[in-house]
Formats: sequence, structure tokens, C-alpha cells
Amino acid sequence: MSKTLVVAWREFRHTAMTKAFLIGAIVMPLLMMGLFIVVMPLMMEANSTPMTGTVAIIAPTDVIEEFQERIHSKENPNAELIEQLPDIVTQDPLASSMLNQGGSNTTNIVLQQADIEDLEELKNKVRDGALAALIVVPDSLLGNQTSEINDQLEVLIPSSFSPNHTDLLSLAVARSVVDVRLRRLGHDPSAMHDMVKRPRVAATRLALDGGEKADNEVARRIIPMAFMMLLWIATFTSGNYLLTTTIEEKGNKVMEVLLSAVSPLQLLGGKILGQAGVSLIMLLMYGGAAMAGLVTFALLDLVPVSHLLYLVAYFTMAYFMIASIMAAVGSAVTELRDAQSLIGPIMIILIIPLALWPVLSEHPNGIVATVSSFTPPLIPFVMILRITASTETIAAWQIIMSMVIGFAAVLGMIWGCARIFRIGVLMQGKPPSFLQLLRWIRQG
Amino acid sequence: MTAVVEIRGVSKSFGETKAVIDLDLNIPTGSLCGFLGPNGAGKSTTIRMLMSIIHADSGSVQVLGTSALKAKDRIGYLPEERGIYRKMKVGGFVEYIGKLKGVRSSILRKRIDQWLERVELPGIRNRRCEELSKGMQQKVQFLAAIIHEPELIILDEPFSGLDPVNARVIGGIIDELHQEGRTILFSTHVLPQAERICDRIIMIDEGKKVLDGTMSSIQSQFDPRVIRIEPIDKNCDLSNIDGASLIENTNKGDHLLMRLDDQIDATEVLRKIVQSTSVLGIEIVKPTLDEIFIEQVARRRGTEAADRVREELSHV
Repeated sequence: MSKTLVVAWREFRHTAMTKAFLIGAIVMPLLMMGLFIVVMPLMMEANSTPMTGTVAIIAPTDVIEEFQERIHSKENPNAELIEQLPDIVTQDPLASSMLNQGGSNTTNIVLQQADIEDLEELKNKVRDGALAALIVVPDSLLGNQTSEINDQLEVLIPSSFSPNHTDLLSLAVARSVVDVRLRRLGHDPSAMHDMVKRPRVAATRLALDGGEKADNEVARRIIPMAFMMLLWIATFTSGNYLLTTTIEEKGNKVMEVLLSAVSPLQLLGGKILGQAGVSLIMLLMYGGAAMAGLVTFALLDLVPVSHLLYLVAYFTMAYFMIASIMAAVGSAVTELRDAQSLIGPIMIILIIPLALWPVLSEHPNGIVATVSSFTPPLIPFVMILRITASTETIAAWQIIMSMVIGFAAVLGMIWGCARIFRIGVLMQGKPPSFLQLLRWIRQG
Repeated sequence: MTAVVEIRGVSKSFGETKAVIDLDLNIPTGSLCGFLGPNGAGKSTTIRMLMSIIHADSGSVQVLGTSALKAKDRIGYLPEERGIYRKMKVGGFVEYIGKLKGVRSSILRKRIDQWLERVELPGIRNRRCEELSKGMQQKVQFLAAIIHEPELIILDEPFSGLDPVNARVIGGIIDELHQEGRTILFSTHVLPQAERICDRIIMIDEGKKVLDGTMSSIQSQFDPRVIRIEPIDKNCDLSNIDGASLIENTNKGDHLLMRLDDQIDATEVLRKIVQSTSVLGIEIVKPTLDEIFIEQVARRRGTEAADRVREELSHV
């Protein structure tokens, strides 16, 4: 065992303690976490810088009055957009404070009514920075003809004007025009807005066991994909490292030196264990970055602890499956390009869960999902997708069966891989075919 | 004398190819044994079985009184195909191999510095292996093979690719290790090299042992068939000597070589030569390993095969 650990430590050290790995697998996720936790809130904070200066407006008086009132009100101009977000976001203290930041400190501007005849002069003032903005509302916009009310109102701003403030002015003046139209027709705008406000829809799934669970689009579509991708990235990255280090050891002839000190099984075990550490780091770093994102957007409720436990179990299964395949292929060839011809067909099989993602997440309990979740080596990827996508609990027997079949397959694959490895590591020259690999399993 | 390596009736095939056939070997403790044969004779296969890298199809392999697998940590091995982690530092590489052989890091660190001095590579401990010249890399690989102070050292072509200076350094260390009582199995197809340093020879051809014994016993087994003559008159004519013929292209100016015909008494020919011309010196030359080997091949596989081997050996 101690020799296996010596091999494992070297494998881990020479993969994980390199600049390339530190940048790709540690610095990048840390930057992502930093982006979510620190930079994004700061950027949102920066967006709330108050708009100052004089804004000239060429519009009917009632539009100007309406605009004056709206631009100085404390109402968030993004209120309409926020209304469309799910409750889980809008009711979270952190998220709602970030979303509502756009509505504060917007009142430090002076409105100046202007005449259309001075348009060119006003434009020059905007260019010079003497005016913060110029708004032109054509009378036709307030008419009754559909063709007219679809005319454009203009917001003229200097080239350096903040996009956020542009949105603020545009939204405020557009809503003011609508309110004036309603007022001219004798309606109360606020009452009319209330009337046309769409009621919030609460989709609730009624489970057979009598339970009720709120439906959530984000949870149903994005989270399962994220879980499966996490499994993919973590296992395939380290699997790829395992492939290349094995080929490297064969290529630079160090394999024979190693085999004079350890048995092929000790070597294989050490390499797989070492890369397991690498894979775990990838999982923790990228998983951590994803969790940081969920915390930032107050969506942490979408990932129950049980899903994380399943992730660990299926990650273990996926890693050992992929690692044994990669080690076997790496031992059988002497150059990376030879490995592609052997890995290609395996990748086609393993890519099935990714290709079937829309079907599997839409019908997590359908026949395709159920059958593929008992089919090695698809089990871990399909099961984690099903568990996180399903709106109803996956039957316990299915989870247990997938675990039993999956881990039995892991043992079988490691056994087969070890037999290929034992023969492959000493082979040189032409890469073997699939049939030869099967023969090696029989001979090994 | 007890045997460090005992191989009994070992055979090994790869598919249709029989690499080793019913091989019996005994290597006594403390010997410096040359394991010889042309390329493809089965040397590396036999060594790999000794290292339990591959396993025999039949027969038994005992190393240091136990199975080859159990003796692994007590054997040092320098394979013919040199292997090194190019990106690793010299110290790290040697320490890694030493740890795999069961030696603690603290002990290894001290030994590595001492040995780097001994192989005339001081101060390269923290250099990457890829930064070293080929000769330096070979010395590092040699170091990795002996850093755990093994009882049996197997060196497969240890001098190949080394310049004369480095070859002398490694040769000196091999000699020291032998003097310390370690058993050394030295595999090569450069027979004169083995002839110079080995006290025992095992020769195999086509997977079978053809010779086994001490250097002197092997040489004495073979009837000397060459006479070396140093004539006073460099232009003397010896073509009329019955029972012997001049070996062409061997006249190096100061001496001549004559090959005796089969079944001819050497002393009779010597007498005839001395009667024909005055000589400064005349002797019956002991056969070289090359000659012994060629004769063995001729005996087993015919003269055509022997000629091919002679041609092969002349290119080494």
C-alpha cells in the first residue's frame, strides 16, 4: 500500500502542483467566485451613481409634468422587470437589495423645457456637455392613431453617457407618454396600470404522497445540467491527465524502471488514486464557484443537501469508470494521437447523456431516462441529471439499483483495465485494436 | 558458493515467438556475471522475469533465496531502454525511485548528494532532468538503479551511449560495488566489454543457454585455433606451412595471425613455423568471446548463421 501511495502522491503532485493546473483549476474558479461575491455587487453599486446635470425636453407640457414627477419619484424604473422574476429571488434580502439599487439616487437632475426650433443648438450643447441629455417627444406619439403612436421618441445623449442612465431616462419618458395618453382619455394611469398588471402564477406540483412542491423553471432546467457538467469536467479533466501521464511514462521509457520497483497493479492503483485527488479539487473548485453564484443570486434553496450527497456518490462512480478506461487506453498506446482512435468510440457513448439532456430533464422518469440510468457507463451522469431534474422523488429502488449496478461496473472495469494495463505498459509499436484489448483482458 | 539467481527450466513465449526455452541459470553470490548474446537472444526477457516485470510460462525463478516478486526491493535494475521523467528534478527523480524501493526520504536525501559527487555530477540535484546532457542523464539513471543499495544489480547495456570518460566513471563504480560483495549481472551484446570486466559468463542464443562458466574455464574449454607470430623478417613467406592458413587482413605490421586447420596438432605447426623463419615471439592465442560465440553459433545453427553473427558483432 505504501508504494501505491508513493505513486499516488507523485501523480497528484506533478499534475496538481503545476502552473497550468493552478491557473486552470484553482485560479479560474476562484476568480469566478470573486466575480460573483465581490465584483458583481460592486458593479451594481457603481451603477447606482446618481445622474446629475440639466436635461432639456421638447414635449407637450403634460408630458413634461408627468416626466418630472416620475424621474424624481423613488419608484424603481426596473420595477416591471423585477415583477417577472420568481419570488425566490425577489424575496431574498441580498438579491432584492441589489435589484433595487437602480431605483435610488436618480433625482439630481434639472429639467429644462425647450423648443423644437432650438434643436440644433441644443444638440450642440449635449455634445459639449452643457446639457446632460435632450429628450424629444413628438406630438404624434400622443395621438389616437396606431400608426402615429408607434412613432419614436428621441433621447439624445453625449457619447460618454452611462448606459444605465440612458435606460433610466428612456423608461421614465416612455412611461410618462403612456400615462399622458391615458390621462387625456380620462383614465387614471395608476389604476390602469394596476388593471393590466399580470397576476403572479404559482405553479405547484401535487405529489402522489399528498405533498406539494412549487415548480421552478431554473431548478428544473439549469441546475441538472450544471450538476452533470460538473461531473463531466471533474472526471474527464483528471481522466485526461491520467491518459497523458501514462502515455508519457511509456513514451519516455520510465515505465520499465517503475515496474522494476512496483507491480503493475500498484502502479495503476497509485495513478488512479493520485488523479482522484486532482478530480476532487476540480469538483470542489468548480462546484464551489457554482455555489457562490447560487448564493449571490439567492438561489441556494434550489440545491438541497441530499443532491450534494448524491453528487459525491455518483462522482466517485463516474471517476473510477472514466479513470479505468483512460488508464487502460493510455497503457495500450505510445502516442497521444493513437489514443484518439480508441477513445473516440468510448466518448460517443459517454456523450449520450449530454446529447439527451433536454429529453432527460423534461422526462426524468421516462423510459429513456430509466433505462439509461441502469446502463454503465452512463449511470452516474444520467442519475445525477434525473435526481436534480425530477419534480417528483426518484424511486428509492432505482437509486439503489443504479448504485449497485454502477459500483459493480466500476469493479469490473477496474479489473479489466488492470489486465489491459499489465500487458499494455510493456507493449511498444502499433496500437492495439479493440479486439486485441479484449484479448488482453482474457490473457491478463 | 550460494546462488543469488536460480532459474530452473524457464520458458517464455510471446504469441508464436519463443523468447526463452527451458533455461537453467545459476548466478553465484558476489560474482560479476556477463549475460551475453546477440540482439533478440532472450537476455532482456530473462532479466524482466528476474525483475518480475513479466512472468515465466513455465519453470521457476528464485532471486536472493525467494521469489522474484518478493526480492524486488533488493534488486537494482538499469534497463536497456533508459527511462527518466524529463520534467522532474534530478533529486526528486532519484528519491522517487528510491522510495518505491522502500528507502525513507531522509536517508535518500543524504545518499543522493553523496552519490552525485561520486558520479561526478555535484550540484545538479535541483536541475530538471531534461536540462542534462544524454550522458549525464544516463549517470542519473544509473544512480536511481543503485541508490537503495541493492544486493543484486542488473545492468542492461550500462555503457551504451556513454563517452569514454563517463564509461570509465561508471565502470569504476561497478568495480567498487563488486568489491563490496554485491552481485552484478551485466547484460551486453558487446562481448569484448564483458571479457574485460566479468569473472563469469553466461551466453544465450535464440532463448537457450550456450555457455556458462568462469572466464578462464570457458576459454580453456575451447581448443585454441589461432597462432600469433612476430617475425623478424616482416616479408617472410609462411604460406607453405601445412595445417594452418594466414588470416587475411590481420597483418598489423608487427605480427601475423594464422588459423589452424581442424584436427591439426598446434605444437607441430609451431615447430614448422619456427623452422621456416626467425621470430621475435610466437604464441597460441586464447579464443576471444567473439570467437567462442561464433563457434557456438556455427555448431548449433550452421556456418551461414555464424557468418551473420560475425557480421553483426563486427558492427558493434
